[in-house]
Amino acid sequence: MLRVPAVATAVILAVIALYWGHASIDAARKLDAIGAVPSRGDYRVQLDFAPERFHQQRLQDRGRLVEVRDRTVFMRDVGADDLRAIAREYWVSAIDRWSAP
Amino acid sequence: MTPQIALPATAGATRWAWRGSRALKGVAGVLLLLLAWQVSVPLVGMSAYFYPAPADVVTAAVDLVRKGILPVYLADSLGRYLTGLTIGAGLGIALGVFIGLNRTVALALSPLLKFMFAIVEVAWIPIFVVWFGYGIRTIVLALIYVVFFPVLYNTLLGVRTAPQALVNAVRSLGAGPLQVIRLVILPSALPGMITGLRVGAGFAFRGLVFAEMVAAKTGIGYLIFEGAQSQQTARTIVGMIVMGLLWLAIDQFYLRPIERATIQRWGLTVDAEQRT
Repeated sequence: MLRVPAVATAVILAVIALYWGHASIDAARKLDAIGAVPSRGDYRVQLDFAPERFHQQRLQDRGRLVEVRDRTVFMRDVGADDLRAIAREYWVSAIDRWSAP
Repeated sequence: MTPQIALPATAGATRWAWRGSRALKGVAGVLLLLLAWQVSVPLVGMSAYFYPAPADVVTAAVDLVRKGILPVYLADSLGRYLTGLTIGAGLGIALGVFIGLNRTVALALSPLLKFMFAIVEVAWIPIFVVWFGYGIRTIVLALIYVVFFPVLYNTLLGVRTAPQALVNAVRSLGAGPLQVIRLVILPSALPGMITGLRVGAGFAFRGLVFAEMVAAKTGIGYLIFEGAQSQQTARTIVGMIVMGLLWLAIDQFYLRPIERATIQRWGLTVDAEQRT
């Protein structure tokens, strides 16, 4: 009787688990370029497209957004956990260190 | 092979064939609409801002997924929806049972509930914004309000129409008030509760779109609103389609099976033959 809701829930949970697994692997790959992650740092976040308000707001929640240039967002004072959260976003293509002027 | 074994297999195959034929007809209807829409675009001759083609809408949907906007908005909307639905249904069931069992409380609360029911959630949202600000609290409160009344009234109806003969029978066997509620009243009210939940879930969906348009910066309702504001009409249509598909999925995979299971397995229904 409740087989359909159970199967639907299992499918949803499986998709979420797959997404989380993929995001974790992808985040580790993006952070490889940085090496050891300091407790706070300044970073350049690369996207495959010009960031919209949505992306700027999501990034602002994780640090201080100082500049957007074409497809790159420059951020300061990003904590280690916030950096990992940014790296997990699949629309972030690359992250590297940036020395703020 | 004996006929007794062959018959259920034939019945099963017929049922699947019937379901398949129904699904095909449904898909054909959708495809026909899409075709008519696509063909009408050059005939109408308006810009994509006024009248986007299905291809524009598909491109916008792919773009929203690629940029990570649609998954986040969908998750936010679903989270708000489920929270509002759960709390609203819980309150509606609890108060429905309480009022249904207590005549004095029913008389005291009835005018107030009727009055509040008449004030639609749309009218409450501006004042919720003043009290709780923009964000999840306002949206969830609006959804609780929308779900609460259909669940309350249907639960109340279920409690009040519990077969008196069964109540008396259980009492005569020595059951206390709590046992009467557990064994007769709640199973009798269950189909009503589920019907109320289904109605409330539908209302909540509409409430969600409006609440997100007014009081959110994320969500499918916000996508619909923001798409129109920023002249990205294709995004608005994507939001509308996602909303429709989401409701179909919730109804098909959750509400309908739960309603069927509740009424068939746990619901106490007395048919006309049994009543006479």
